[in-house]
Amino acid sequence: MIQLKHVNKYFFKGQSREVHALRDISLQIQQGEFVALSGSSGCGKTTLLNAMGVLDNIDSGEIYLNNKEISHLDAKEKTNIRLYEVGFVFQAYNLIPVLSVKENISFIMKMQNIDQQQIQNRVQELAKILQIEDKLELLPSRLSGGQQQRVAVARAVATKPKIILADEPTANLDSKNSKALMDMMRELNQKENITIVFASHDEMVVNAVDKVIRLDDGKLV
Amino acid sequence: MYKTIFSLALKNALLRKTRALLLIFMIASSMSFMLSLEGLYNGMTKNMIDMTLRSDTGEVSIYAKDYRLKQEIKYAIKEAQSIKDQLQHHPSITSVITRLKVSGLGASATKSYPVDLIGINLIEEESFGEFSAFVKEGNLDLGKNGCIVGKQLAKDLKLRLNAKLVFSTQDSSNTLQSKLLRVKAIVHTTNINIDNKAIFIPKKVLSEFIGVDPALATQIAIRTQDKDLQEELRLRYRKLEVLNLSEINPMLAQMKEMMVVFNAISFSIVMGVVFIGILGVMYVSILERIREFGIMLAVGYSYTNIQIQVIFEAVFLALLGFLLGSIFSLASLYYLSHYGLDLSEFSDGLQSFGMSSIIYGDIQPEYFLRTFYAIIFASVLSVFLPLRTIKKLNPVDVIKADS
Repeated sequence: MIQLKHVNKYFFKGQSREVHALRDISLQIQQGEFVALSGSSGCGKTTLLNAMGVLDNIDSGEIYLNNKEISHLDAKEKTNIRLYEVGFVFQAYNLIPVLSVKENISFIMKMQNIDQQQIQNRVQELAKILQIEDKLELLPSRLSGGQQQRVAVARAVATKPKIILADEPTANLDSKNSKALMDMMRELNQKENITIVFASHDEMVVNAVDKVIRLDDGKLV
Repeated sequence: MYKTIFSLALKNALLRKTRALLLIFMIASSMSFMLSLEGLYNGMTKNMIDMTLRSDTGEVSIYAKDYRLKQEIKYAIKEAQSIKDQLQHHPSITSVITRLKVSGLGASATKSYPVDLIGINLIEEESFGEFSAFVKEGNLDLGKNGCIVGKQLAKDLKLRLNAKLVFSTQDSSNTLQSKLLRVKAIVHTTNINIDNKAIFIPKKVLSEFIGVDPALATQIAIRTQDKDLQEELRLRYRKLEVLNLSEINPMLAQMKEMMVVFNAISFSIVMGVVFIGILGVMYVSILERIREFGIMLAVGYSYTNIQIQVIFEAVFLALLGFLLGSIFSLASLYYLSHYGLDLSEFSDGLQSFGMSSIIYGDIQPEYFLRTFYAIIFASVLSVFLPLRTIKKLNPVDVIKADS
């Protein structure tokens, strides 16, 4: 499903000082896995997640998604990967503020030119699963953090991508909402057979997943 | 997909209502100011040309060779009447007249000035250029010795209605002759050649006075819409000078060209202001939404989609500005074309340039069409700089900043 081979990533701070954010990372994640990248703050979890989702470039190594090398594609091809193959859930929800909940959930489906009726059915289905049926017409600014994160999850899974990358999805949620979110993610993982990769240092997330990949100072532990 | 992009663009365009309204009003007010100014300039030029055409040259005038240089009666067109008779039957000529002009000295009780005594046929002049519309005082019932005097000449010679005026000139045998005339009407044409030095009397009276054949004329003036007529008449009357307005009155043609340049400069300045206005608003609007664009790029919205969205936003606001500007401009131009801009306080100065003291606006559909294209162009151009900022945007930076 996802395979990383000797991935290295550097960040340059100023002219000479560089941070080796990912050090020779090689790993493999199979279809339908429920995985967490874990480690202390600054260990490279988010950087690794962003590299997997072709949001960020790597300096060396290779990343394969379904046996296709994706790290050296051009910007347009990377956009297509993000649109069709990967779903993202961000720590800060990152919903589009001018669009209603319904429009946010259907946004990626519309970009994929999915039939209007299908979009409507899928939005209703997800709203029911994520318990936001009564919030569909509201703008994100009218929702609580937990509700916004559920909308972000709905947007990510709406098109049934092969993989969902979730970066600290519980960081801004209380324990009750965090548990509810993880339960929903687990349900989606099982029902839709979606591969879900979390980047989190939240013990609750780490305990809830099937497999934990630990990082320390940019290296696999 | 495009429906979503356009829907996003509309929502964002109207998100900051005050800013959007300010931009729309800025475009509308700039546009209406510019079009009103253009309408006035063009109206002024058109009015000057129209007055000259009606009171003097027509679209085409025929003179004997050397007449315009030497201004002597011996260079008159001898076969003027027969030429006029031929031209009257020409399908593209709406009116043709003959005039006889001699230069001399006009003297009132107190002053004397060099003047032109012009022999005309009042009935023909009426159909040629609505001569009666130039009459500011008196009437066209000339009687035995009646004459019509240009407004500025009347002022210079201190002539009032029914005042006596003596005109002196050499007749065809080079003998000095004088004629006593009585002012029956004063005309104002805004054509300085007429207003400053013309005295009109019936052509027949003038012919008798200077002792020439009544068929003789110094000018044959023609009204036509046919652009090729001048060339046709040039070929037909090779021994005569067949001239158009620009050739007879190059200053007027130059002024027309100057107005085109002036309008183009005004247009560019106003469009520059519109461009900067849209650029400013779109730049701020885009910078405010960098995070939003970053998120959209992260979830698979392409840069092309953002380009379409931002261009649509700018064009949408510009079109609203154009529509409102069209309403303002139409109202303003309608008022100016009907009631004019009264500049009577500057009438002396304007008159010396051959301009009327009330300037009427001119409305042309092309003003709106040209402005439409310019506003669309300015709005599309104005988003290129902000779009460059988005192109450089790495979505991961936005997401990192949020985290």
